[in-house]
Amino acid sequence: MMRHGAGSDWSVRKAGAGSTGASEAAGPRRVRRSRDSAHRCPLSEGSEHSSERTHSNSPGRQPAPHPSARTRPRFPGGSIMDATVAEYIRRTVLKMPKDEIKMMLQKWGFLSEAQLQTLNFHQIKDNISHEVVQLCEENSADIKQAAALDIIYNHIYQNKRMWSVYQMKKSGEEDEYFDIADFKKKFKRRIRSALKNVTITFKEYEDNAIWIRVAWGTPYKKPNQYKPSYVVYHSQTPYIFISASMLKSNLPLLCQALIVASNYHDIREMELRSHSLNSLKDIVFKRYSQNFETYTPKPLQGGNVEPENADIRIIHENGREKERIHRLNQEAFGSGPQPQLEFAQYKLETMFKSGPKMDVLDKKEPFRCLVKFSSPHLLESLKSLAPAGMADAPLSPLLTCIPHKARNYFKIREKKKSFVSP
Amino acid sequence: ESADPQQTAFALRKAWTLYSVTPLHRFRRSRLSDYARLLSAFIAAEKQKGLAVEVGVELDIKVALSSLAELRGSELDQAALLVQLSSRSRASSKNSEDKLVWSGWFCSMFGDELSENVPENFTCLPLFLTHGAESYTSLVGSWFQKTFDCCFRRLAISPLNLSWMVAMWAGYKLERAASAVELVFSMPCLSQPLDISYAIHPEDAKALWDTVQKTPGEITQGEVDVFMDCLYAHFHRHFKIHLSAAKLVKVSTGIASAHCDGIVKILHSQYLPGVLMLLTELAISQIQ
Repeated sequence: MMRHGAGSDWSVRKAGAGSTGASEAAGPRRVRRSRDSAHRCPLSEGSEHSSERTHSNSPGRQPAPHPSARTRPRFPGGSIMDATVAEYIRRTVLKMPKDEIKMMLQKWGFLSEAQLQTLNFHQIKDNISHEVVQLCEENSADIKQAAALDIIYNHIYQNKRMWSVYQMKKSGEEDEYFDIADFKKKFKRRIRSALKNVTITFKEYEDNAIWIRVAWGTPYKKPNQYKPSYVVYHSQTPYIFISASMLKSNLPLLCQALIVASNYHDIREMELRSHSLNSLKDIVFKRYSQNFETYTPKPLQGGNVEPENADIRIIHENGREKERIHRLNQEAFGSGPQPQLEFAQYKLETMFKSGPKMDVLDKKEPFRCLVKFSSPHLLESLKSLAPAGMADAPLSPLLTCIPHKARNYFKIREKKKSFVSP
Repeated sequence: ESADPQQTAFALRKAWTLYSVTPLHRFRRSRLSDYARLLSAFIAAEKQKGLAVEVGVELDIKVALSSLAELRGSELDQAALLVQLSSRSRASSKNSEDKLVWSGWFCSMFGDELSENVPENFTCLPLFLTHGAESYTSLVGSWFQKTFDCCFRRLAISPLNLSWMVAMWAGYKLERAASAVELVFSMPCLSQPLDISYAIHPEDAKALWDTVQKTPGEITQGEVDVFMDCLYAHFHRHFKIHLSAAKLVKVSTGIASAHCDGIVKILHSQYLPGVLMLLTELAISQIQ
C-alpha cells in the first residue's frame, strides 16, 4: 500500500482539479476584439455591436487626425482613441476584482453614470473590459485619463507594491507655504527638461497625500505605461514614498525633481522598505503608540498575561516571570497595534565570540552574516517571542528599535572600544 | 569515486523530492525495455481513464528506463535506475524533439546495511528521487508498487539531520567563491509566524567548522552540536532569540541544499556520492 506524505492514495486521483473549465457562465460569448489595426474592418464593424446599448452615432462628426496614433481604429461614432491607450485601459480593468470594477470606474469619473448603467457587470471580466474600452472610445479617452484610472487602482491596492522611504532636507529655511500648483509645475518642468517622453499624472487625496504617477520613456521611445513609478508625498512632511518598478537609472531624476518642486535641497533613501504603505507612514509620522521613556511604576491592572484561563484551579508557576516579560514587552513595543512590516534585514560584521568552554574560532576578523526576519506582521511576531519562551526579555534593541529608528535594513559592526582593552 | 560526469550531470542543479523505497521483488535488469513498454502502456491507460494527468494537452508519453552503472557506492550496491518520461505533442511535426517532462531515479549509495539482510529476488534501491509533476510521480510510483510489490514513503529530513548536513557541507572546500551557508528557521506557533534566514559567509563558516572538527574524515554528533551551538550563541548575542527553540527547516550551501520536507538540490558533482550516501542512510532508517 503506497502512502504519500499527504495521505492521499495515488491510484485514485481525479483530474478534475486541473481542468480548465471557465468558472463563470460565459453565456453567448460576444466577441469583442481590442480595436487594433489587425482586426479593423471599418465599415462592417457596425454590425458587431449589440443592439442592447444605445450607441451614440454622430455621423456628422469629423474625426480630427490625431498626431500620435498611426493606425487609428475607427468605427461609427467617430471617436478616436489610440490603440495603446485602449489596450492599457483594458488591461487595467482586467486587474481589478470583478466586484470592484464599478466602484473604481465611478471613482474615476470619466464615464458618465448613464454610461456606467449600460455596462453588464455580471459577465466575465474579459467582456466587461472590452465594453469599458468601447465607452472610453466614445469619450475619446487619452493617456491622461488612462493614467488616472491606473492611479485609482494602485491607490486602493497600494499594498501590492513595495515602497521605499526617502527623507528630504531643507537648508534651514522657514517652512514656506505649500502651493500645489507650483509644486506640480516645477516637478513636470524638471522631469521634462531631462526627458521629453514621460507621462506625469497627479492625484490628491483627503489625507493630504499627493500621488504622482510617472511613466518613463527614452529619448527615442514612448513611455512604458506598464512600468510606472509611483510617488506619495505628504506636503507637510519631508517624507517621500516611492514605488518604482523601473530601471534605477530614472531614480536620480525623480529625486531631483521632487526636491526642486518641494523646495528642499537634499534627499536620501532611508533603510526602510515595506509593502504596507500605511505602516511606513505610521512609522515615519510616529502615528503608532510608542513607548516613551516614562515608566509607569504601578503594576498593570488585572495582569493580563494569560486571559484565557478562567479555571482557578490552574496556577501559573511562572506568574511573576510572565508579568515581568509582559511589562518589558510593553515598554519596548508600546501597548497599541504595531505598524505592519514584513521583514527586517541585518548585515552583521561583528566578531565571533565563543563561549567560555568552547575551544573554537578565535579569529581577529568579523564573522560575516546576513540575517533576515520575515513575517506577515513582523513586529507583532517579535513581540510574541519572549512570552512564548523563544527569546529573552527584554528583546534585543536591534529589533525593538525598528519603528522609532524608522529602518528595517541594518549594518551592525562591532562597537569600537574607547579604551585599550586589557 | 568520481563517476562519469555524463552519467551524473542529470542529477545536478535540480530540486529532487525524496522517497524511501522498500526492496523491489523480482526486478530484472535485463528486462528494462519490457518494463518501459509496460509502464508506458499503464500511463496511457490511466490517461484514457482521465485520471491523474494534466488535462487539455494532447501528449504522448514516452518512457525510458536505464541503468546507471557508475552511480553506486560499492560493488555491493545495485546500479542506479533512471526513469524518464518524455512527451511529444501530437500536434507538432515529426521533427519536434521529445521534451523531458519527468524524471525519477532509484539509487543505493553504500546501502549495504539493507542489502545484506534481504533475501534473494529482492533488489535494494532504497532512495528514490523525483523531479517533475506530482501526477507523474504518482503514476510511476503506482506502477512500481503494483509490479514489484514495494512501498514508497516521502522522506522527511529532521532538524537533527539537517544540522548534520549543514555542518558537513560547510566544511567542504570549494575552489571558487561559493554561496553562503544558510540556515532557515521557522517559528510557526507564534501569533504571527516568523521565518528567520541566517546566512554566514562560506569562508567564515568553514573556518568555524575547521576549529570544531578534530579528526579529518570523521564527524561526530558532538562536533555537529558544538558547531550549531556556536551559531546559536552568536545569534543570541545579537538578538536575544533562542534559535535552538525554532524549527530548522532548510539548509543551503554551495555544495547542496536540503529542505525538511525531503527536497534536495545538489550543485557539485564532486560531492554527489557523499550527499547520496547520507540520503541513502536516511532512507534505510526510514524503511527499517
